[in-house]
Amino acid sequence: MVELINCVVPEHPEEYHDVFVYLEHKNGKLTRGSLEMLGKAEELAHKLNEKAVGVAVGKNLKEIAAEAESYGCDVFLGAEVTDFSGFSSVAYTEFITSFVEQYKPNIFLISGSREGRDLVSRIAIRTRTGVAADCIELDVDVPNRLLIAWRPSFGDKTIDQILCKRHRPQMITSRPGSYKMPEKVEGHKCEVTIKKVKMAKYAGEHKTLEFKQKDRLDLTSAKIIVSGGLGLGNASGFKLVKDLADSLGGQVGASRPVVDLGWIPYEHQVGQTGQTVRPKLYIAAGISGKIQHIVGMKASETIVSINTDPEAPIVKFSDYFINADVSKALPKLTEEIRKVRAGTPASSPG
Amino acid sequence: MESSTSTGDIVALKMIVMMKQVPDAEEIFIDPVKYTLNRSQARGIINPSDENALEAALRIKEKEGGEITVISMGPPQAENAIIECMGRGADRGILITDRVFAAADTYATSLTLAAAVKKLGDFDIIFAGESTTDSGTGHVGPGVAEFLGIDQVTYTIDTRIESGMLIAERELEDGIEVVSTKPPVLVTVLINSNLPRRSRLRLKVDAIKKGVEKWDHDTLSLPVDWVGLKGSPTLVGALKIPEERKRESRPVKLEEIPALVDELVKKGIIKIGEDA
Ligand SMILES: Cc1cc2nc3c(=O)[nH]c(=O)nc-3n(C[C@H](O)[C@H](O)[C@H](O)COP(=O)(O)OP(=O)(O)OC[C@H]3O[C@@H](n4cnc5c(N)ncnc54)[C@H](O)[C@@H]3O)c2cc1C
Ligand SMILES: Nc1ncnc2c1ncn2[C@@H]1O[C@H](COP(=O)(O)O)[C@@H](O)[C@H]1O
Repeated sequence: MVELINCVVPEHPEEYHDVFVYLEHKNGKLTRGSLEMLGKAEELAHKLNEKAVGVAVGKNLKEIAAEAESYGCDVFLGAEVTDFSGFSSVAYTEFITSFVEQYKPNIFLISGSREGRDLVSRIAIRTRTGVAADCIELDVDVPNRLLIAWRPSFGDKTIDQILCKRHRPQMITSRPGSYKMPEKVEGHKCEVTIKKVKMAKYAGEHKTLEFKQKDRLDLTSAKIIVSGGLGLGNASGFKLVKDLADSLGGQVGASRPVVDLGWIPYEHQVGQTGQTVRPKLYIAAGISGKIQHIVGMKASETIVSINTDPEAPIVKFSDYFINADVSKALPKLTEEIRKVRAGTPASSPG
Repeated sequence: MESSTSTGDIVALKMIVMMKQVPDAEEIFIDPVKYTLNRSQARGIINPSDENALEAALRIKEKEGGEITVISMGPPQAENAIIECMGRGADRGILITDRVFAAADTYATSLTLAAAVKKLGDFDIIFAGESTTDSGTGHVGPGVAEFLGIDQVTYTIDTRIESGMLIAERELEDGIEVVSTKPPVLVTVLINSNLPRRSRLRLKVDAIKKGVEKWDHDTLSLPVDWVGLKGSPTLVGALKIPEERKRESRPVKLEEIPALVDELVKKGIIKIGEDA
């Protein structure tokens, strides 16, 4: 048993340097979330005049290191598992923590994907530090080498600054989709170290029996999203949302309460605890625009909202505001779009 | 730690459900001085995914037998939520309550809950929700597993016992992973992964008679500077109002929808004749 050790231990922040980033990979490629985090790590490292250090666990890490290098990673630390039996939190925590203990990074960024969120809390506790989860903005206080992380608050209007002053590394997660993808860097050289490890000792009897591939709806790359909220009135209201999305060739999104009510599956949720999207067009139907929803869609190019309440917060975040009942506005939009489509030969370029 | 099922004897499964009472909906207020959450005005409910965690435990109990203890850290009012869990079939309820636990971050919360689990003694499975609706980090389940040094299986949608092993399905971004592991283990359960049962009046009456045990930092032998705000490595520095990119908020009447669609097409925001 790991001892119950509290966090009030003297730390020496000055001994910690550089920016770690956990490089999650699937099918031999870095995930979008870890690439975004790598981009952020480089940005922070640059400001601090330090290095961006990618850490990875798994198989075929040479390829992963090469991809990280092409995106500007400075140092790569890999734990190549020679007896891989599937993901294991305990084993991964062990390998990643050993990198932290050897290297002593000042900052550690982890994508808030399912794997990232599974690991981050264990790694933080093992290294006796704190985590700021689901951050939407990161900055550094350069003289103090302090990470300034911002996350939406529990209330619905403000953003909290989360600091971890004494403990190192300063750890954070951000949801995939929160930041732009980094650019490739020509001719960049990364210092690669890959060590061989065995997981059996740590994973024990934990084994993956089977993996049933099923791609979850990925709203992060959608060009058009029509989202529905509680203002739809009931589950059947999503029919209207779906019709409009279909007429536009777009995807269906949702606010959290309608997901919690079971009107639509979680994979459609947009916001702090759902997906972060940046489509060309976002239509919010019967959504009030609470901060936890806004942070997930405010990067959309054009925002149209439909709401009976002209005072709803979503209005300020909209380019166009249709002050009407969803049951009238949605079918009208669908009808108009179908008309325009019918009037134009399907092959004509936009 | 020895699992009670691994001793060779047929011993009932010992399960623990970690449950947090959270404010219902949006009635949440922030203390403007201390920047901490003021929950007192909001009505409390069982955190939604914790209802699914309890239900997962109850289903295993129905098939395999066993005993379920609900533990919750929170203010005295959280007792109601524990009674509700007992009304659904949990056998024992423990409320971890103490003013010194206030404003704990996930490190201090995990430590306090892990101390409570240690005090309870041997167990096979701890069930937690995937995340809470008020803080929503999902860090506390894995945090408790780390402090206890046990395995974890997160994001489950189904759990069962087969020949002493826990078999669980995890829902990930790109598919379902079926995992097998040996208890003791901590499992986190996804919201909406099952349909939580309602409480039964008779069980609730029994629960009220039996009562909820209350533990504080003394019961858990936890020094005060290990818990609450003092035991938390992170702190809230400041608040800000999110910056808004200036948007026009142009009003559009119902009858102006055709003109709006026209404009969106002209600007190339809606592409006609090309499937997105
Ligand atoms: C930690 C945490 C994480 C969260 N994560 C998320 C998240 O990821 N995503 C998310 O969305 N929320 C999230 N929330 C919840 C968020 O705070 C709000 O509760 C939620 O976004 C509100 O959803 P809504 O707009 O659908 O409902 P409401 O706020 O109830 O708004 C409904 C709107 O519909 C309008 N309306 C009603 N009837 C009609 C009608 N007939 N026609 C047109 N308009 C109508 C109303 O005027 C109102 O503006 C989170 C909260 C917390 C605390
Ligand atoms: N105060 C608490 N008391 C009991 N269980 C908790 C508490 N806080 C969190 N948990 C458990 O940990 C899970 C994740 O919580 P969180 O990390 O706050 O999202 C919850 O679904 C609960 O099962």
